[in-house]
Amino acid sequence: MTAAFELRGLTAAVPGEKGAVRLVEEVSLHVRAGETLAVVGESGSGKTVTFTSALGLLPKPGRVIAGEALLEGEDLLKLSPEALRRRRGARIGMVFQDPLTGLNPVFRVGEQIAEVLRAHLPISRREARERAVALLARVQIPDPARRVDDYPHQFSGGMRQRVLIAMAIALGPRVLIADEPTTALDVTVQAQVLDLLGDLRDAEGMAMVLITHDLGVVARQADRVAVMYAGRVVETGTVAEVFAAPRHPYTISLFRSIPDVEAPAGTTLAPIAGSPPDPARRPVGCAFAPRCFAVSDAAGCRSARPLLIGAGHEAACHRQGAAELAA
Amino acid sequence: MSVTVEQIDAAAEAAARRRAAIRRYTRHPGFMIGAVGIVLLVLVALFAPWLAPHSPTRTDLMNSLAQPSATYPLGTDQFGRCVLSRLIHGAQVSLQVGFFVVLISLSAGTIIGAVAGYAGGWIERALVAVIDILLAFPSFLLALALVAARGNTLDSIILAVAIAYTPRVAAVMRSVVLTIRPRPFIEASRAIGLTPWKIVLRHVIPNALPPVIVVATVSAATAILAEAGLSFLGLGVQPPTPTWGNVISEGQTAITTNPLISLSAGLCIAFTVVVLNLLGDGLRDTLDPQMRRSTGKLL
Amino acid sequence: MVAYIARCAAQLLVALVGIVTVAFFLMRAIPGDPALYMLGDFATAEALATLRARLGLDLPVWQQYFVFLARAAQGDLGVSVVTGEPALAEIWAAVPPSAALAVAGMTVAVVAGVPLGIIAAVRQGSAVDVGVMLIALGGISFPVFWVGLVAILTFSHALGIFPALGATSEPGLLKGLHHLALPALVLGLSVAAYIARLTRSAMLEVLGQDHIRVARAMGVPERRIVWKLALRNALIPVLAVIGVTFAWSLGNAILVEAVFSRPGLGSTILKAILARDYQLVQAGVLVLAAAVVVLNTGLDLLYGAIDPRLRQR
Ligand SMILES: Nc1ncnc2c1ncn2[C@@H]1O[C@H](COP(=O)(O)OP(=O)(O)OP(=O)(O)O)[C@@H](O)[C@H]1O
Ligand code: SF4
Ligand SMILES: [Mg+2]
Repeated sequence: MTAAFELRGLTAAVPGEKGAVRLVEEVSLHVRAGETLAVVGESGSGKTVTFTSALGLLPKPGRVIAGEALLEGEDLLKLSPEALRRRRGARIGMVFQDPLTGLNPVFRVGEQIAEVLRAHLPISRREARERAVALLARVQIPDPARRVDDYPHQFSGGMRQRVLIAMAIALGPRVLIADEPTTALDVTVQAQVLDLLGDLRDAEGMAMVLITHDLGVVARQADRVAVMYAGRVVETGTVAEVFAAPRHPYTISLFRSIPDVEAPAGTTLAPIAGSPPDPARRPVGCAFAPRCFAVSDAAGCRSARPLLIGAGHEAACHRQGAAELAA
Repeated sequence: MSVTVEQIDAAAEAAARRRAAIRRYTRHPGFMIGAVGIVLLVLVALFAPWLAPHSPTRTDLMNSLAQPSATYPLGTDQFGRCVLSRLIHGAQVSLQVGFFVVLISLSAGTIIGAVAGYAGGWIERALVAVIDILLAFPSFLLALALVAARGNTLDSIILAVAIAYTPRVAAVMRSVVLTIRPRPFIEASRAIGLTPWKIVLRHVIPNALPPVIVVATVSAATAILAEAGLSFLGLGVQPPTPTWGNVISEGQTAITTNPLISLSAGLCIAFTVVVLNLLGDGLRDTLDPQMRRSTGKLL
Repeated sequence: MVAYIARCAAQLLVALVGIVTVAFFLMRAIPGDPALYMLGDFATAEALATLRARLGLDLPVWQQYFVFLARAAQGDLGVSVVTGEPALAEIWAAVPPSAALAVAGMTVAVVAGVPLGIIAAVRQGSAVDVGVMLIALGGISFPVFWVGLVAILTFSHALGIFPALGATSEPGLLKGLHHLALPALVLGLSVAAYIARLTRSAMLEVLGQDHIRVARAMGVPERRIVWKLALRNALIPVLAVIGVTFAWSLGNAILVEAVFSRPGLGSTILKAILARDYQLVQAGVLVLAAAVVVLNTGLDLLYGAIDPRLRQR
């Protein structure tokens, strides 16, 4: 079965003082229909850039310099701007990190949803409005017929994220990318929004990418996981495999503070000593070397870039076998 | 006393920061054009008697309304006075007006705006209400009325323009202070018991200074335009003293035969204002990107 | 919305009382005796006393103020010393040509300034952007009366398209508009330049906001994003300064009227200043300030219509 959405060797860069600065490098990952792929990694590891550049949304002067972004087999990066626009929102939706600023403050909520519908469908204002009410109901907003005429400032944070989700699923996309959809919300509201996303995925058979810092969420909601570090995917596999036997020292460090695989909700990425390298100044060899407990010059950590190897469960580390030694 | 490694590092870092700041300015073409232009103008005004080929007030009635020639590079006006010399000397009036108006209106506006922005409560509300009402009066009209009442010497023109434009400066200053007020160091100073006056003097005003410099350049431009307007209406510094505004006005009678008189005087005003605006825009871009919002309005 | 309108109306009333108050004290703050000023140095003591009594200058200042306020409320702003006519009536007679010029000028400014600012923002860094911004820099830098002279030289003398006189006594709307066009363009240019710069920076800020990224991610066409979703946000700061630029362009209008020999408030007030007609100047200043205040109230209403967050409070 082909993946609903697949990235192959995606590399995006911005011009810097000394040539192009690669924000993300050679990112490959995929997600199938009905499946959730979790993407985790420290702040600044390139999670958001990966998906915004795949959708052609990387702000100028950033641009994709290599790779493919396949939506049901079709490379989005080769499409004309207009063709890409028609896919965005219609066949692939995205929900962003901050619901408080994600809605336009000077338009009614219903009108914003209608704007999305009418961007893709030849329907009347009236019909768009009716559909907007139905969508609000779909994301469990009480009294949708009345709330459709409210402005964003009349909604709470959680409600606004629901509205944004309603917009993202308005046209029944095959793929939904949710970029830390709950980071800005209260803990109780977080669970509700995540449940809603899970239900929608099951009901629509969508493929879902869930970017998160919360390992508990990964354990409960995701089927597979991709771990990113310094603009690269450093480990990927099923949640069960990666949680049971992490192979990359970065992943191992992340899990260190967590006693067992059944991570409790709200367990966020554990801090690791040191900080990730600036995209403009990544070390030669493995980008994690300065912080790695298993670093070894003999293995080539400081001279050669490690590639993702393995079948199904892959990791990018020169000393995968030796990693257990550290435990 | 030995110098520690940290001290050397700190010094090197400070030098690097200074170099980076200088590079930010020199790489901004608008700022460079503005800075060079202003320096040129100041030099022209200071050395006007030496630069001007003739006395700006010497009449040569045999040669009135002469076309440009080697003796009179820009020709002469209806009294046979050298237009170029009048323009060179006219820079003195414009620059003096620009400089002193900014000095007066900025000091007054800064104090009013800073007090309003810092004090809060009813003092702020009252001052803001007065500023708002004053803003409803067209500044140029106010300047006109004040000059009419106080006579048209250079001093009274400067004072009139300064008074008329102070409310605008005060309004900008208040919004600048509003963006500074919530910053933590103000809270800290309050906590260690500094008096409100000391806080305004030591913290609020110095931190508001970068935007103030921007406001100053733009206000100088506005003041120069206002003076030119007064001169044009015959309410500015009186002939035979040359000002760019009265050269335009006097040239108007010969506009069809000798358009160069009015045109060149207008270009002098425009050059000065452009240069000041470029300098202001350049400073705004380089000093602090966050500042755009606080000074964007009104100017 | 009703409550919001009521609040705007109340603010208008307060502002009108405010400008009358400020005008009163401003005129009193100017040194010198207005009666002496009006009658000249050779006036007899008797004449001075009569005039002082007529102007109410013999009363204590606070009484003068309340008398002034009460009369102003009834539309009485004193009489012109030169003609003896009620000052307000004389000023009022000069309002129509000035209002036409101001409205036409502001229309030019908004109609040209907003779209140019948007286009410059959308094509940020392109030749179009640089061009628009250079023109805008010129527009705020050239003295308006000089632009007027250049316009007369080019469009009247050289090309003969528009008349050099800014007004005509001949009847007919078209004729009037033909004479109004050049002054209005000249007056509008500087404000248009300012509005274009402001619209551009507001637009750039809005286009970088999250909700615009969301709209792009949802596949909303760029045209709709710019001209509908972003524009309404960007107009808020632009509206906020239109009131201020209006006050400013009323000042410029005095100069434009002078260049084009156009009748109106500018020439009336200028004549009054030269004739030392103190009451008339005061009435003129008040009428102009009132116009600004009324316009600002209108803008506040529009503001409320655009920005729902304002209506709430
Ligand atoms: N438009 C841009 N221009 C230059 N650098 C950028 C740009 N966008 C992101 N970056 C840089 O790229 C790196 C990756 O950023 P990204 O937003 O993808 O991180 P993230 O993994 O999503 O982090 P977070 O968890 O904080 O959301 C960061 O170092 C960031 O500073
Ligand atoms: S390659 Fe070397 S430095 Fe990088 S993670 Fe593996 S062991 Fe650590
Ligand atoms: Mg992110």
